[in-house]
Amino acid sequence: MALREHDDLLASLGRFSEPALHILISLAGGPKHGYAMTRDIEAVSGQKPGPGTLYGAIARLEARGWIEPLPAEDRRRPYRLTSAGERVLRHRLESLRAVARIGRARLAEG
Amino acid sequence: MPRAATLLRLYPPAWRARYGDEFLATVGEAPLESRQVFDIVMVAIDAWLSADVRKATRAYRVAPSGGGSAMLKSMLVCGRRSAGVTPRDGLVGAAVMILATLLFSVAGIAARRAGWSATGEMLKGLAFAGPFTLSMPFWLMKGQPWKAQAAIIGGTMLILIAAGLVATRV
Repeated sequence: MALREHDDLLASLGRFSEPALHILISLAGGPKHGYAMTRDIEAVSGQKPGPGTLYGAIARLEARGWIEPLPAEDRRRPYRLTSAGERVLRHRLESLRAVARIGRARLAEG
Repeated sequence: MPRAATLLRLYPPAWRARYGDEFLATVGEAPLESRQVFDIVMVAIDAWLSADVRKATRAYRVAPSGGGSAMLKSMLVCGRRSAGVTPRDGLVGAAVMILATLLFSVAGIAARRAGWSATGEMLKGLAFAGPFTLSMPFWLMKGQPWKAQAAIIGGTMLILIAAGLVATRV
């Protein structure tokens, strides 16, 4: 039940849910500003988020309190994961792992 | 290709005040690819309409500047104000749309039977876009100044009619 609730929270971001997940994963490795997030997401997922999509997702995550801004460094402002964001990310990854396990098991059966 | 700083003007003032500097620092000085331009433009529309974005930029709201087209600004803020639409407004808007669709269809059929086939085709062609536009004051543009509503609704209807007339003659 708890897993489903947190999945729904991320899914409520609509087309920004996948970039938001990538941002949460990126910030799980430590605070980063937009450019560093873009590079990290590209390295991890192979997908480079567009600048508009990146900040569209950042604004949503910030509005929900899942990430928070740190003091700006020059023109760049780093963000960090909040404890609420960490919970959402943890549950989402658990859910994905369960889905992947089922998928692998079905492939093995086939 | 337009530069990122130029495209940034498409975003709401509060968004620019909150994210503008870091957004430009993230985009960098390199020329934008067409994919990036599309992404920035599409998310600019979202930035005007999203409740989440409004929440994230609430503390950065600034008084509207005098520049830009008043009509475009009015169109863009419509979505922001549509939150005040009640279920009754929705029903009235739907009723207007259904009624106007019937009227356009009947007028189109009548015009054709009277021998004005091009006008009839044009009216039937407008049977969705026209009623949709006419229903906007009841939901999408609710609360907007009547001059802005008249300019946007009237202008859109004129364009639709002109496009319909051209289409029937091509």
